[in-house]
Amino acid sequence: MFNNPRRFGLILSLLAASVIAVPSYAADDDAIGKAIKGRQAGFQLYSFYAGQLFAMAKGEMDYNSELAATLASNLSSVANLNNGMMWLPKSDNVARAGDTRAKPEIWASDSDIGAKAAAMKDASAALASVAGEGLDALRSKIGDVGKSCKGCHDNFRAKDF
Amino acid sequence: MYTEKQVWDPLTRVCHILLILTVVGGWLIGEFRTFSIMQWHFYCGYATGGLVLFRIIRGFSGPTEIRFSSLLHSPHNILRYAATLTNKQPSGTPGHNPLGSLFILLIVAALAGQVVTGLFSKDDALFFSGPLASFVSESTVLSVTSLHNLNSTVILVLVGVHVTAILFYWVWKKENLIKPMITGKKK
Ligand code: HEC
Ligand code: HEM
Repeated sequence: MFNNPRRFGLILSLLAASVIAVPSYAADDDAIGKAIKGRQAGFQLYSFYAGQLFAMAKGEMDYNSELAATLASNLSSVANLNNGMMWLPKSDNVARAGDTRAKPEIWASDSDIGAKAAAMKDASAALASVAGEGLDALRSKIGDVGKSCKGCHDNFRAKDF
Repeated sequence: MYTEKQVWDPLTRVCHILLILTVVGGWLIGEFRTFSIMQWHFYCGYATGGLVLFRIIRGFSGPTEIRFSSLLHSPHNILRYAATLTNKQPSGTPGHNPLGSLFILLIVAALAGQVVTGLFSKDDALFFSGPLASFVSESTVLSVTSLHNLNSTVILVLVGVHVTAILFYWVWKKENLIKPMITGKKK
């Protein structure tokens, strides 16, 4: 096998290439990037559940009490997940411009993002408790959910990536 | 002797009052939007769009003093007028003075831009989208929405300058510009 110098050279260079490739593979295994994707996926879930509830409230989608109850209960459930591990330091939109809209203020020591998250938990729980009881009941509570989403975005999410 | 002469025709005056209502209303509702009032932001926006479009049409075919051709002044003329601004006397122009003309062009452009960007904007917290937002990519919607937010501040500043200028003419130059915009007559 090694008596062919050309093949020996090829194997050597393959070995060398794999050694060089290892660190770049490790860099691809980007924990911060994954955490950002994870929390964005979580917000996409909020958006999926809440979107249909808002559509019903606006009359753009037929009200269906069973579906409304399930959507609102799911929204409330995902709002209660502890996703703290997704908010790694250095995962803000300065350190990771282009990947995230999360503002550095989230990590400030006087940040009240916890209160914003709590407001959304309360609003979605209140919605979940009435969403199946008719369109008027849904409408009476949905505004607070939108307000809670907006309240956090206004302070902690940049308008653009 | 002073004689009263007609400066603003009735249609201009009515449109101006409607524009104040739709822009101030639209601005306030946009800034302080909630789920239950946001639909009115769109109504104000569409009404503003209609008025701006009508203004643009009249900029080509309306009474002389409001035509764009009368509003386009050379930078030299604008600066020359600006240099006399602190004179304690009315401008003496029957229609818009050169600075006022510039303002009209700026506010018409800013409002047109606001309405157009609004059509492509999206609020993903209250789940309201402009009617054209679904026709363009998500990243376009985000940038256009940012522009809509930014330009709303530009409009706020322009309106502020406009109101300040009117007060300045009133207090400093002793020229009441409000009355002609209501009655159409200027001394
Ligand atoms: C406690 C703060 C907070 C609350 C409450 C909140 N959001 Fe967000 N949301 C954020 C932040 C921060 C981001 C930016 C995440 C990023 O880009 O890393 C975001 C991003 C999003 C995104 C974009 C996700 C993506 O793929 O980039 C959507 C959609 C969204 N939120 C919808 C909602 C909805 C709907 C609600 C209410 C039901 C809500 N959010 C409540 C903070 C919040
Ligand atoms: C009179 C013209 C208009 C004015 C003065 C105006 C003004 C505003 C203002 C002040 C805001 C809040 C910006 C902020 O949060 O910083 C806003 C948001 C918004 N406007 Fe308008 N707007 C106008 C027309 C329109 C039109 C025609 C539409 C669509 C049909 C529209 C759709 C929206 C949407 C979707 C938002 C929310 C964007 C967000 O989530 O940030 N607007 N507008």
